[in-house]
Amino acid sequence: MTMKEKILNTLEQLRLYALSKGYTVSIYYQEEDSSLMRFANSAISLNTNEHLIRMEITAYEDRKRASYGMITDLSKIEEMKRGIEIAVEMVKHSMPLTYQPTVPVYHEAFIDERGYDQALAEISNDEKLAFFNQVVEGLETADVKLSGIFSNGSNTIAMVNTTSAHPLYIRTSDAQVSIVLAHSVLKWEIQSEQSAQKKTELSPHDLRRELEFLMEHYQSDAPQQIPLGKYDIVFGSAAVADMVGFMRYIVINGGLMKRGFSCLRKEDMGRKVFSGKFTLTDDPTRLQTFPFGSDLFGIQRKPFPLVEKGIFNSFIWMQDDADEFGEEATGHTVPHLSLSMSGGTQQVRSLEDLASQPRDSDLLYIPFLHYMNIVNPSKGILTSSSRFGALLLKKDGSIVIPYNVRLTQSLFDVFGENVDWLSNETTAYNTSLSYGARNPAAIIVPRFTRVNGLEISHSNSSY
Amino acid sequence: MMLDQIKRQINRIKTRGATYVDTRWYPVEETNSLLMWNGNLKDASSTHESGLGVRVLFNGAWGFSASSDTSDLTALYDRAFDNARIASERIALPVRLAEKDAIQAKFVSPNKINPFEVPLAEKIAFLNEMDKKLDQPGVTQRVSDLTFVRKQMIFVDSEGSEIEKVITEVFAGLEVDGVDSEGGMHERKFKPFRRGDTRGWETIDLQHFSENAERIVRELNATLIADPCPIDDRSVILLPGIMYLQTHETIGHALELDRILGYELAFAGGSFVTLDDFGKLRYGSEKLTARADATLTNTPGSFGYDDDGIPAQDNLLIDKGILVGAITGRQMVEEANARAQRQIFQGSSGANRATAFYRVPIERMTNINIDPGSDGALEDIIRKTERGIVLDGDRSWSIGSNREQFHFGTEAGWLVEDGRITKAVKNATYKGATLPFWNSLTAVGDRSTWEVHYVANCGKGQPNQIMQLGHGVPVCRFDNVRIGE
Repeated sequence: MTMKEKILNTLEQLRLYALSKGYTVSIYYQEEDSSLMRFANSAISLNTNEHLIRMEITAYEDRKRASYGMITDLSKIEEMKRGIEIAVEMVKHSMPLTYQPTVPVYHEAFIDERGYDQALAEISNDEKLAFFNQVVEGLETADVKLSGIFSNGSNTIAMVNTTSAHPLYIRTSDAQVSIVLAHSVLKWEIQSEQSAQKKTELSPHDLRRELEFLMEHYQSDAPQQIPLGKYDIVFGSAAVADMVGFMRYIVINGGLMKRGFSCLRKEDMGRKVFSGKFTLTDDPTRLQTFPFGSDLFGIQRKPFPLVEKGIFNSFIWMQDDADEFGEEATGHTVPHLSLSMSGGTQQVRSLEDLASQPRDSDLLYIPFLHYMNIVNPSKGILTSSSRFGALLLKKDGSIVIPYNVRLTQSLFDVFGENVDWLSNETTAYNTSLSYGARNPAAIIVPRFTRVNGLEISHSNSSY
Repeated sequence: MMLDQIKRQINRIKTRGATYVDTRWYPVEETNSLLMWNGNLKDASSTHESGLGVRVLFNGAWGFSASSDTSDLTALYDRAFDNARIASERIALPVRLAEKDAIQAKFVSPNKINPFEVPLAEKIAFLNEMDKKLDQPGVTQRVSDLTFVRKQMIFVDSEGSEIEKVITEVFAGLEVDGVDSEGGMHERKFKPFRRGDTRGWETIDLQHFSENAERIVRELNATLIADPCPIDDRSVILLPGIMYLQTHETIGHALELDRILGYELAFAGGSFVTLDDFGKLRYGSEKLTARADATLTNTPGSFGYDDDGIPAQDNLLIDKGILVGAITGRQMVEEANARAQRQIFQGSSGANRATAFYRVPIERMTNINIDPGSDGALEDIIRKTERGIVLDGDRSWSIGSNREQFHFGTEAGWLVEDGRITKAVKNATYKGATLPFWNSLTAVGDRSTWEVHYVANCGKGQPNQIMQLGHGVPVCRFDNVRIGE
């Protein structure tokens, strides 16, 4: 019996058990095989692997809902049945919602293993170490130390319910590579990152090339505190992905809009609210985003335009919000979206390209934004600091190393009429966090995005 | 018996050449979460998990492996050993662990009423009561929540320690949101500070919560009609509801020794502090004394023994403004002393903790506290402030990667002119650079102003970990701080 068959058989047994007792439940299964090699101070500081199976059982009773989660393994069928009983007992004592919660119904089986690449999921310790060594060979010195991670693994999500006989089963593989070179005395730090859905997407050459370029400048040029004021800024993919990621909370989420946490209102649908160069889609056809082709309530997912040439198209409605606010769910009840921002027309493939192109003004290159947070959701204002390899590309062709700076800006300014250009090439930036269950995620964004006239509100005088 | 099997496996891996092996076995970790939003019980959930995490030190490198499946311990321990073996192929400074005693002990967090024995109906009744209190004019969103955690953890290592911990925690909170006339959303929260000596269900005091529910509704409504916070340079008077976060972000994280040594550079960031700074850096004014105190009884920053098996301690971090200590574990103090070529640290401060059996221990805050001062009560400090602003409540926070600068948004602000509060303002923010900010500390409130707040979700590390901890802080005043940006 294959692992997939074993999982689906176990879930079917549990479904039949619940049906035999007259319960209404949905059962969510998540299995991860996670490995992470972490580097610090030019050594492997941690080498871990975890194999974990989580199960969450949600019981329904008219307008009541309760859930019970466990970390378990497939041999413990009796423990899982006890979990069903606990969820059912909890729901008896729960409190009715003011609306009718939808119970998932799957009209057909949804089995998706397109995103699984065994070679990536099972990449060996030796290969990971060799990959890192290849990228940084000759770049480390007594003062310049290597940090970073090579995280890879597989993630299996399966779901059944008592309202339909069909299962949902999705299996993906993923890798996230982040390589940092930092000066232990001067404290500057540069970084190069990669996201992969299959092993062939990993390229040590590309990582090394970016690091070499940055090293050349960071090792030889003294950093400077740049004056406060307005700058024409070129954001790298990490910075843009971070800001686009925050749009899930304060821009496109219908439930949060209803609760007052969005900077857009219903009447903004159909209006031009961003630059005509800005197009954002939730696109589950893009495997690089580790997508869900079906949401957890059985709605088939297709490309969903959120913003088209600056015009806000629609909010997304997750099932529970749709139930509460009388809206139609849009198939977005998933562990993560597949956000994809369209590229533009600017021919710039790499940081070297960007630095070597003629420019009409000084350009502040910010590849990465650290510790972003929402200052004012109603106005879409975010704040964060630059980090990892910022450059001030002077109009005269020279390059200055700036100390880190802080931006406190509205998304309407960052993605509004001040957008000058977007690079024609896009890239998948890995946004995975490993709090709790493995949930590989990536956002597709232009490699470079230029926005003019953004204010720097704080400029460091050192690292 | 599982414990015997664990000890056999530890011995087996030792005979394969490991210099140190430990295991954290969680027979049970359970949670219960309830969240009521505008009268709807949005979340009624429980979780249960158990499993083992194994840490192996081989040839100066760490390997770790974890699983919930305890049917094949040999494979689990072998994976941890193999992970250490490959890691040892790339080491810079071999890992050494500071000396410690072998300890056999048990720690049980103090509770009068086990929250897991309280009927669900009683918990929901509490949330209902709070929801009614919060359902007032001006309030568009109201949220009340309860979270209960109980962990049984058994630590065994190859140096003879065997420690059992049973920790129960209760977390609760209230929040109200409202919209001003311009469509701007504002929030006010009540995250209860710790009172009494225990941390069980008995801490859910209906009257205390009710009084604070009324207060946050009142303060939200004042904010909704307030003028915007001006952009200005003023004295800021931080109440404990924001002072705890200031301490957390710019003292706590900055003084984690793994960050100082560069172990978080790939993610959370570094620290502006260097090893040369200990004993001489003027971190703050003479009014600043900060400590890491894991001996307070009533907070999640107290856990008896850390995950290296080191007993809880109360250590000075900053003494009258001078940096003297850090948040440390066994590995990092050895490495710091070796790198500095001097004995900065006398041993681990007992702050190495993991969030779950499937994560590896790293330096985490315990209770990072600011000692009360001698500048009186809040009213005394306001009276002696010419142009200032009183701030409370965390709304947003963003900190530079080396903890060298910060920007905080707060929930509530009141301008102070000539020694008295004149009016409330909305969207109050402040920012600064860490060292100049702490050196501008000009007033520290007395014991009457000192409150212990907890943090339920401090994130750090890769793989990521969430940790619970505490901060005992007084009211403090800082001069010449930029507000309103």
